[in-house]
Amino acid sequence: MQALRTAASGMRAQEQNVQTVANNIANIRTTGFKKQRAEFQDLLYSDLRRVGSTSSSSGTVVPTGIQIGSGVKFAATSRVLSQGSLDQTEQPLNVAIQGGGYFEISLPDGREAFTRDGSFERNQDGEIVTLDGYQVGNGITIPEDARSITISNDGQVEVVVGNDSNPTNVGTIELVNFINPGGLEAIGDNLFVETAASGDPQTGDPGEDGLGTLLQGFLEGSNVEAVAEISDLITAQRAYELNSRVISAADEMMQAAGQVLQ
Amino acid sequence: MQMRWGALMQSRAGELWLHFGELKGFVMENAQLITLSRVSALERQMNVVANNLANVNTTGYKSENMLFEEYLMPVASAEEFKSSDRDLRFVLDDRTIGNFGTGTIETTGNQLDVAIKGEGFFVIQTPAGERYTRDGSFTLNPDGQLTNHDGHAVLGQGGPIQFSPDDTSITINGDGTITGTNGEVGRLRVVTFDDPQTLNRKGQNLFEGENARALETPRLSQFALESANVDPINQISQMIEVQRSYQELTNIMSQQNDLRENAIRTLGRVQVNA
Repeated sequence: MQALRTAASGMRAQEQNVQTVANNIANIRTTGFKKQRAEFQDLLYSDLRRVGSTSSSSGTVVPTGIQIGSGVKFAATSRVLSQGSLDQTEQPLNVAIQGGGYFEISLPDGREAFTRDGSFERNQDGEIVTLDGYQVGNGITIPEDARSITISNDGQVEVVVGNDSNPTNVGTIELVNFINPGGLEAIGDNLFVETAASGDPQTGDPGEDGLGTLLQGFLEGSNVEAVAEISDLITAQRAYELNSRVISAADEMMQAAGQVLQ
Repeated sequence: MQMRWGALMQSRAGELWLHFGELKGFVMENAQLITLSRVSALERQMNVVANNLANVNTTGYKSENMLFEEYLMPVASAEEFKSSDRDLRFVLDDRTIGNFGTGTIETTGNQLDVAIKGEGFFVIQTPAGERYTRDGSFTLNPDGQLTNHDGHAVLGQGGPIQFSPDDTSITINGDGTITGTNGEVGRLRVVTFDDPQTLNRKGQNLFEGENARALETPRLSQFALESANVDPINQISQMIEVQRSYQELTNIMSQQNDLRENAIRTLGRVQVNA
């Protein structure tokens, strides 16, 4: 009975839906996390009686056929790229992006990764690095005797060194954008890498070419809303239950058919 | 008889007479066949209900309903009865009717999500030609074109809709006009059909159809998607109805089988005695 397989596809899809929701909820406090949404599509239909086929020798056509679908599939997880809330941390090397764009991170294996998580630190050489110690951008070194660090809206990093009263510019934090940021591949640790779907990275100064501006002393929270996730979870769970009812009903029907000849 | 049932299970009720043309006058077998036509139709109705429930969370999905009609069997009749009762009527699952009512509009917060309020379909360019959908969860491809999740272009009034890398903030108005950071980039094409029942479902949330007519004043809503219009209560009660009728009918089939078994045994005994 086709209904069994159809309902099984529904249960599988809802299971993946619950996984997506669970991952969103688990990352509700993750800096720069963007929630995902499960997208579903119906599967192929079998035309038992094709719409528009000829129904008599005088040329009349079937106005509405019989189409029986074969279930549902998990089509995509689309990332919701809305701005997360900005939390003040008062750490000079915490930077939030207001608007579009990503920080560029150099991975130890030489690849470039991208992140919205601007919780940076200094390493032993004074370079600005991520919490995992990966270099931010092309490497900006803060002198050892820096008294204060200022990061402006457009990414200029200025420090006041020693007894100097004037700040010195030590570099610029650039941002990177993609034509389709939804196509970036998440590799964990709040990092993304470019894919064929995202397009090539386009580097620019914050505030230009559609890039967002920087905000020092703040971090961008996740854009996960607890209430919305819980209601999605309830919907997914109920949909799962409905499909399991279909399986038991189809099972009972097959059992009834089996009992015709006892 | 068993072999014929096997063939029958596979085929649609409307084609039964081809295989059973010679059955005229076999009252008991006709009763079995009529029951069977209903059982097969119920099985297919169950498949339709299962598909509706599997797609209860599918964006833009439109629920389907199976309709039945009686099928006057042209070649079989019960000759023993008076003439008004001689015709045999089989059950035929005649058509699936789509319910094209609008589903609930849910906000998602994604700027490339668009829902159609009221009538209309988006136009998607697939390799097989234009397809129509109510699923407005769009994305961009690496070239900056607006596409669906399978990478097929979403068509605007003048072909595919192209964004530039600067367009980080995109606004889609109620009438489908799309504005990027540097001004207008196009207008979504929204079409409608005189009779949506003639649309053919192609899977992947797409419909195939002919004679699409442009909808002059669509009502779109950005940051939102249309959920499936499947009503779970309705579907579950339909399912219970199907399941119970199926069980009743299999009981009847079982009784008919007993009846025939009895008849054979009794008639056989009479012959031996004679």
